[in-house]
Amino acid sequence: MPVEQSRMNIESTSDGPKWHSQYPELGTDPVPIEPYVSPEFFELERNRVFRRAWLCLGREERLPNPGDFFVKDLAIARTSIIVVRGEDGRIRAFHNACSHRSNKVEWQAKGCASTFTCPFHGWCYGLDGNLLAIPDEKNFFYLEKNKLGLTPIELDIWQGFIFINLSPEQSLREYLGEWADALEGYPFAANGATCYEWSTELRCNWKLLRDAFKEAYHVAFLHRRSVRDSYSGRKNPFSHALYFKLFRLHQRWSLPANPEYQPSPLEAIAYRYASFVLKNDFTREPPRGVNPANDPNWVLDINAIFPNYTIDMLENGYFTYNFWPIAIDRTLWEVRAYFPHPRNAAERFSQEHARVTYRDVIMEDASTMENTQSVIASGAKTHFNFQDEELLLRHDNKVLAEYMGLTNGRAKVRRSRGGNHVRRPAA
Amino acid sequence: MSDVRLPDQFRDLEPLAGLWSLPTEAERHDRRLASNMAELRRLYDALMPRIVDVLAYLSEFQVENLTPEGRNLFYLACSLAEISPAVELFGQPQVPAGYDSRRFIPAEGQ
Repeated sequence: MPVEQSRMNIESTSDGPKWHSQYPELGTDPVPIEPYVSPEFFELERNRVFRRAWLCLGREERLPNPGDFFVKDLAIARTSIIVVRGEDGRIRAFHNACSHRSNKVEWQAKGCASTFTCPFHGWCYGLDGNLLAIPDEKNFFYLEKNKLGLTPIELDIWQGFIFINLSPEQSLREYLGEWADALEGYPFAANGATCYEWSTELRCNWKLLRDAFKEAYHVAFLHRRSVRDSYSGRKNPFSHALYFKLFRLHQRWSLPANPEYQPSPLEAIAYRYASFVLKNDFTREPPRGVNPANDPNWVLDINAIFPNYTIDMLENGYFTYNFWPIAIDRTLWEVRAYFPHPRNAAERFSQEHARVTYRDVIMEDASTMENTQSVIASGAKTHFNFQDEELLLRHDNKVLAEYMGLTNGRAKVRRSRGGNHVRRPAA
Repeated sequence: MSDVRLPDQFRDLEPLAGLWSLPTEAERHDRRLASNMAELRRLYDALMPRIVDVLAYLSEFQVENLTPEGRNLFYLACSLAEISPAVELFGQPQVPAGYDSRRFIPAEGQ
């Protein structure tokens, strides 16, 4: 793929907007920036979104055996969570807080345990959260041990994806709704047998990160050195979508491949061993759950679960993003690349080629966020101007405000300063 | 000669293996960032003409069943994957104007 720095000779072949007219309730007005910079709005996100919504913590394959656990520090909910597979095979989640003096019980990020013992005074809990032992127990005054287990958190699993909810109002399946119907049948387990993870903390609002992966308008520009030619081309120079579908909370979107794309020399060789990042294998029937428009030039579907999870599904694997707010201008970004189990070391090489190329591409994506953050609170601009292909950004902003009970984010946020109480989690 | 051994038919690549047969993404990426383009091209130009043969060899094994020499060859091939965007796309070791990839932390062992 030649590096081309000069001005691109691309002309739009578009006839103009076509998606927004299918969702007239979204409107077409500029969208306020304030929710990205307002501390009050951020606190409402904490209480009305992240303490209420189902949140994905990755795949159940992270915990193959009884006793396997990981700890997820969830700054936005001001807690730490232990997720563990019990002796009975069931996966459970608990607040990582001891019943004695509320110290964190488990300090390791992951591992395999038979019990959890608080390092502070040795209180010991089973994998089911029950309190098993208290050192020097006779010296306490009155303890109901059976009521002093780890505080449980609602957990459910959809298609192998682990979700938790700090104060559930509906079941996970109800929450996912119709969005989930079309995806069921995709071989998530087989295509996710191998997982590679990265994480980073960005100095930006979490929604800037979310937005960066919700449109392909940027591909011809930000990715001009990398994947522009695989996702665009003469017939579709601005990577216009093949398909959009908006659900009540969630989203689906299909991206085009360039049928005339010429892979780079090593990429072409890696493809022989089942690589996929930049194009699909048009010689095979795609699995169930992808390419809803049944377009021959399909490359991947982006499936977004409100509020902060995205699954990018390809024929032969998928990528996921978690966008975890830490503070109004700090975000933990977790990226996972999922592949089938490589049948041999050459296929493993192909996966390596795919994932490091992909990593470099998303380093281009990630280049914008802290730059945007550095000027967004200046007040120089008060609104975003979204085009037709930025439909998902408009939808995300509307859904977020509605989920928080705001019909007009700005007015209601202001009022909230006067003691408009938000519900605290029951846990 | 390097003390990093490769399978017999690839022994001519052993001088590269001493530098580039690195077991983790973090090590391979660090080596890429610490190299100049002439050094990256040296790996690319030496390994590209052989990579089809290398992959034919690797396709006979699962990663966990490779011999120590075969494993070194696999790591060397992974380094070619690591540097290929720098050589084929960017013309420089880092992603141009990109996010600082040293802040993008791989999980242990990959």
